[in-house]
Amino acid sequence: MTSQTQITAAEGPARKNWVDYIQKDLPEHLDWWPYTLGAIPLTLFGLLVASGLLLTFYYVPSPDKAYESVERITHEVYLGWFVRGVHKFSVDLMILFLFFHVIRVFVTRAYVTPGELKWVTGSVVLLVTLGMGFTGYSLVYDNVSYWGMTVVTNMLGTLPIVGQPLLYLLRGGEEVSGGTLLRLYDLHTKLLPVLLGVLVIGHVVVVRLLGFTEVKGSRRFHSFYPEHTLMMGAIAAGLLVLIVDLVMIFPPTLGPPADPQEVASDVSPPWYFSAPYMWITLLPGPVALWSLLGAVGLFIVYPFLDRTLSERGWPMTAVNAAVGTAAVLLVVVLMVLDTRM
Amino acid sequence: MGFGLLFGMGTLGLRFLQFLIPSPAAKRYEAVLIGSESRVPVGEAVPMDLGGQKILVLRTNDDVVAFSRRCTDLGCLVSWNKEREQFVCPCHRGVFDKTGRNIAGPPPRPLDRFEVVKRGGQLYVNIAST
Repeated sequence: MTSQTQITAAEGPARKNWVDYIQKDLPEHLDWWPYTLGAIPLTLFGLLVASGLLLTFYYVPSPDKAYESVERITHEVYLGWFVRGVHKFSVDLMILFLFFHVIRVFVTRAYVTPGELKWVTGSVVLLVTLGMGFTGYSLVYDNVSYWGMTVVTNMLGTLPIVGQPLLYLLRGGEEVSGGTLLRLYDLHTKLLPVLLGVLVIGHVVVVRLLGFTEVKGSRRFHSFYPEHTLMMGAIAAGLLVLIVDLVMIFPPTLGPPADPQEVASDVSPPWYFSAPYMWITLLPGPVALWSLLGAVGLFIVYPFLDRTLSERGWPMTAVNAAVGTAAVLLVVVLMVLDTRM
Repeated sequence: MGFGLLFGMGTLGLRFLQFLIPSPAAKRYEAVLIGSESRVPVGEAVPMDLGGQKILVLRTNDDVVAFSRRCTDLGCLVSWNKEREQFVCPCHRGVFDKTGRNIAGPPPRPLDRFEVVKRGGQLYVNIAST
């Protein structure tokens, strides 16, 4: 990798208040498409909060009423299907763009010293977003989501030491019950969104404090407002159009209601859990679980590993390109396998 | 002072976690009547729900046995495949033979087995319920 020093924005007048701080000039590459991938999930997060808030007006978090309320939202409430569709596609796209953002940061090694904290906070944002995806998916309470909830909580229960307390914490008891639904609802609508909000703000603040990575060819600076704000506004408008189109073409559906006596014929989770799902299908339980945990741990601390290997003379740009390509290929192969099995 | 504050916060956090994590309910062992032997045809496994325990009662040529339907992999429910004489889990394709032994797929151990007692032509299953 060439130079990976951090740009500390243009020298300006002494900072007086937070407005001056926000208005600090930004390097021009933030307007280049691959570098807008971090701002897109932020926009989608806003859309998720808004549509999620609307859904809470009708959703009832009890085993007897949950499915019925989702059915009502989908088929009876005026524009209910649309709001549910916007919520669903927003989370799909948010996770997709987070993956793209991670790939871009990984391949360009934008996390190198002193940017480690940017990567660590960002990776926690990704994990919490996946947690939001899981809890939200469980709330639908159709048969697929019920058994998905059972499998995932059981999987967490097999973790050493913390597994059983975590299982009881999530389920509110030994079995999946009404208490489980209520807990997942609380996590999805209260704890995790607040946590995610704080983490996202933290991530943005850390990025601003540590500065942006230097990118070849990015020489000039522009102001946050109006140039950058307008660019982000244009992206947000484009996303909104895309999501509206997607909801119109693929309106949200609902499977048969949860049946604790019969496993759904296809318990495949949403696409973003498809690869780990196939991984645990193909490998023996403990191997699959430990390898997944190891991969997540390695993912979070990767900048430190990069630093250590770089110091020993490893060509980390080439290593990252190879590791990134292999990881993406593996995920794609597992996803394809899931669609075929 | 820093240590005291950390200790206080830690203790408080631990109590808070204890509040959120319910204690496992005490288990009661009991024999549940499931009916006469003829209720389960030879070679078939009949699913039953006994006090929240989902079981399959299998009658072979020699014996009547009861297994938990909970797959030992990740807790999905197994079904009996009469042709293959195997218990099959649809979630991750775990397979158990008719003795409950895990023979294929990710399950790490055999199916949980419950004792079946015959008294006066009636079958009872000893289960642990909460």
